[in-house]
Amino acid sequence: MIQSRSPLAKIGKGLQILLLLAYAVFALFPLLWMFIMSIKPDSQMLTTTFIFTPTLENYATVLHSDYMQFFFNNLIVSVAAVLVSLVVGVPAAYALARFQFKGKEDIAFTILSFRFAPEILVILPLYLIYQRLGLYDTYFGLIWVYQLITLPLLIWILRGFFEDISPDIEAAAQLDGYTWWQVFLRVLLPLVKPGLVAAGLLCFIFAWNSFTFPLLLSNNVQTSTVIALRYLASDTVHYGQVAAAAAISALPEVILALLIQKHLVRGLSFGAVKG
Amino acid sequence: MASIQLSGLTKFYGKRRGVEEVSLEVGDQEFLTVFGPAGAGKTTTLNLIAGIVTPDRGSIRIGDKIVDALEPADRNVAMVFESYALYPQFTVYQNMAFPLRSPKHRLPAAEVDQRVRHFATMLKIDHLLDRQIQALSNGQRQRTALGRALVRRPDVFLMDEPLSHLDAKLRHSMRAELKEMRGQLGTTTIYVTHDYLEAMSLGDRVAVINQGRILQVGTPGEVYFRPATVEVAQLFGDPEINLIEAKIRNRQSTSVRVEALGEDWSFSITPEIGSALDKLPGDNVQLGFRPADVTVGVNGNSSLHGVVYSFEPLGTKSVLTIDSVAGQRVRALVDGHKTFQVDRRIEFTVPSVSLIFFDPESTRYLVRSTRTEGDD
Amino acid sequence: MAELILKALTKVYAQAQLPAVDQLNLAVRDGEFIALLGPSGCGKSTTLRMVAGLESVTSGEIRIGNKLVNGLHPKDRGVGLAFENYALYPPLKVRDNLAFNLRAHGLAAKEINRRVDEIARTLQIQELLDLKPVGLSSGQKQRVNMARAMVRRPSVLLLDEPLSHLDARLRVELRTEIKRLHAEQRFTTVIVTHDQLEAMALADRIAVMNEGVLQQFDTPLEVFNHPANEFVAGFLGEPPMNIFRSVVADAGRLVIPDTDFTLPVTPAVQKLVGSRKELKLGIRPWGIRVSQTQTTGSVPGVVTVVEDLGDETRVGVRYGEVLIMSSIPVTRRYRPGLSVFLSFNEEDLNLFDSTTGERLSDGSYAPAPVTNDTAQKSKVQAPVTR
Repeated sequence: MIQSRSPLAKIGKGLQILLLLAYAVFALFPLLWMFIMSIKPDSQMLTTTFIFTPTLENYATVLHSDYMQFFFNNLIVSVAAVLVSLVVGVPAAYALARFQFKGKEDIAFTILSFRFAPEILVILPLYLIYQRLGLYDTYFGLIWVYQLITLPLLIWILRGFFEDISPDIEAAAQLDGYTWWQVFLRVLLPLVKPGLVAAGLLCFIFAWNSFTFPLLLSNNVQTSTVIALRYLASDTVHYGQVAAAAAISALPEVILALLIQKHLVRGLSFGAVKG
Repeated sequence: MASIQLSGLTKFYGKRRGVEEVSLEVGDQEFLTVFGPAGAGKTTTLNLIAGIVTPDRGSIRIGDKIVDALEPADRNVAMVFESYALYPQFTVYQNMAFPLRSPKHRLPAAEVDQRVRHFATMLKIDHLLDRQIQALSNGQRQRTALGRALVRRPDVFLMDEPLSHLDAKLRHSMRAELKEMRGQLGTTTIYVTHDYLEAMSLGDRVAVINQGRILQVGTPGEVYFRPATVEVAQLFGDPEINLIEAKIRNRQSTSVRVEALGEDWSFSITPEIGSALDKLPGDNVQLGFRPADVTVGVNGNSSLHGVVYSFEPLGTKSVLTIDSVAGQRVRALVDGHKTFQVDRRIEFTVPSVSLIFFDPESTRYLVRSTRTEGDD
Repeated sequence: MAELILKALTKVYAQAQLPAVDQLNLAVRDGEFIALLGPSGCGKSTTLRMVAGLESVTSGEIRIGNKLVNGLHPKDRGVGLAFENYALYPPLKVRDNLAFNLRAHGLAAKEINRRVDEIARTLQIQELLDLKPVGLSSGQKQRVNMARAMVRRPSVLLLDEPLSHLDARLRVELRTEIKRLHAEQRFTTVIVTHDQLEAMALADRIAVMNEGVLQQFDTPLEVFNHPANEFVAGFLGEPPMNIFRSVVADAGRLVIPDTDFTLPVTPAVQKLVGSRKELKLGIRPWGIRVSQTQTTGSVPGVVTVVEDLGDETRVGVRYGEVLIMSSIPVTRRYRPGLSVFLSFNEEDLNLFDSTTGERLSDGSYAPAPVTNDTAQKSKVQAPVTR
């Protein structure tokens, strides 16, 4: 029977590959499209699809403008937002996973609910508050408001990871002669590392791509996502420049994802810390 | 090396009782097993001693130090967890060396290496030292966990059901090995188990615990042959001890006639049994006897009668369930070579030396003949 | 009631290297109680599920009452299955749980009630009939579970680890009940279990399985006393059988390395050993005599382990890497460090091939293909000597 199954199995395998290929094309096509657009001259933008004279002019224009400054703005704000989230979120996730206290689930749910309301809904009061407090158009203001995006994500992912670690392991390490902080750093953190990496990266992507908050809560401290708007001029749309800016903007995410791919897969599939 | 004293330890988890008023003394180098069913408070007791859980009331002394205010790391106890609690990111070697690299117990690298290898050899895991924990079988994990506790040379060993996740065959051989190893270590040990065979086999003394309270502390022989209460008697032995109500009809100085299982039953008694019976307020007494002590006869001399309800062969022994005249069922453990047909009439008796007398009101132990414990 | 026959029953899961059940032949007589016994992953549950129709069959035949049921829907096979995890319908009362299947078969309400009451009496759950499963104890749930499997009067009753979730006391109690019930009702029954005591206590015959392959199918005592191979020998019995490597020394003697044990090879043993130079020697702990006085053939040793277990005492004597465990009647005489002498009878020995692990037999026995009539097989497995 094993022999009779094998042609069937082969067909199944082929089908599997075909489906995955189809999905890859589906997922990657917008990226490809963006790249093609970014090396097309404006004149050929709408006339041809795949036949054109490739040019780097769009990139030159973008790079010679002040775009890079906004690019770095975005980098500063996003990285800082992720770091703050890590510092605040890791202990919070640990506490929510380990300790029994009153209102624990309510707190966890409240944190998650930060993600429920569309940003546009809360932006008006936030705008007024930021104006009053002088947070408007500051790095600090943006980093703070980004916590609405990054913190819930980080806490909920890491909470699952901490819950997977048996409390016995902590107790064992304490009995082995380590203080709680040493246990946390030497035993727990390595165990949640995949989750930490995955959650950190996701947070970074969300922060990096954030649009509504920087658009409305800052003016000079703009980020690259917002500044891409300027290519939609009143008379014409500079598709090539938009695409080039977007391509540059996507680079940090792509590079990061490639660098930590190994952890990412382990982290997102969860349950990686089974003893 | 240290003795341990628990006085009045009490711990509630919200409304649920973990342990209540647990007082216990463990001598230096003694091996004490704590035995009880699931949820009895065994693990809580260990966690309290280790300092993983803080008591609501009560105090713990290890050696001549009161350790109530000490962190787990400062109590110098080592624990083997039921879940093993190995560090999954480390190898066997790193797991075993971990305590010796801690700020508390730090040793020079050469000595760490020497100790890890010494105990790994003793536990027969020296060929696995470079393995990741995930690549180990249950038995190997168990040995690694034991090794991590041993390398420390702590004052006290705490072991929480270390054998419960092993298959039957491995459990037997590990039990024997643990027993052999005890002599070489000589460390004060508290060993928690829900398996009465483990408790009796390993312990110098057994502390029987249920529902958070200690029921009896005694040598394996004491808890088995002279259980403090009916409950303790029921926790030891498989199948369970038979318990019957008896009404004393006539008592002479060396014999007694009772009504039990719907029949008249006379048997001889010793003076101490006699005086214990005299102290009873009424005529009723509860009798306990182990299935292995039931003699199934055919010669017409036995006092009790019944019908075979069920017959279950188990290899060298068989369990015979007998419907007595009164309808109450009695279990007997009989030699594996005999077979019994269901519904066959048989007669049986219990030697009076095997009878355990309980107070029917308080269910407390009254008396048992001193001529027991297998010397006959 | 009917007989159940499995012929070359095989199950191969997709992705799996090895079959979960490999060419399994079993013939269960009408009214017989058999146990499928083995460690987890041995294929016993898969077999049961195939018989019940919950698992497709890769190849082979399942016959119930001489009818091929391979292609039949579970409900048309005439089997009753008591699930390991009870699987009672939570919103229904016990009575409706029991009646569920009968209603599906369109029985008259009066007949349904009669049958439900009857089975409730048999399993002593009358007072539970109007309760919902959620409030029942695990022992009660298991009784209801079994009642539900039996109320439809199946041709074959299948029990999947019915006692594994009960505490020790209930387990022994319900085991006795099941045994008694079978003596009264004579359902053709297949029980799946990993507990050897359960299998021995309940079954007329035990099918020991390992890695999908049937190891031995015989009466409990035969399986216990004459295990077909090293696996069966090691799996049954508590404490487990002592199994040693032993070599055939020159002058017709059998030696256990690391110990001083030597056995003269009698003609009967010689016939079994043949030209082998090495073999495995198994002896149950009850077969080893421990004594403080030397007798002919006894071997000196030092006690390292003593376990006083109330009804029995176990004594371990170590020879280098080998720890020999013996189980002796209760005695308080032995202490670690004591010098003793061990001996055993030749007829208590089990000899196994050192590579295949198969029991050595004297050639009169050929592993017969399992046919519908497996009765012959129980007689063939001759003891080592005699």
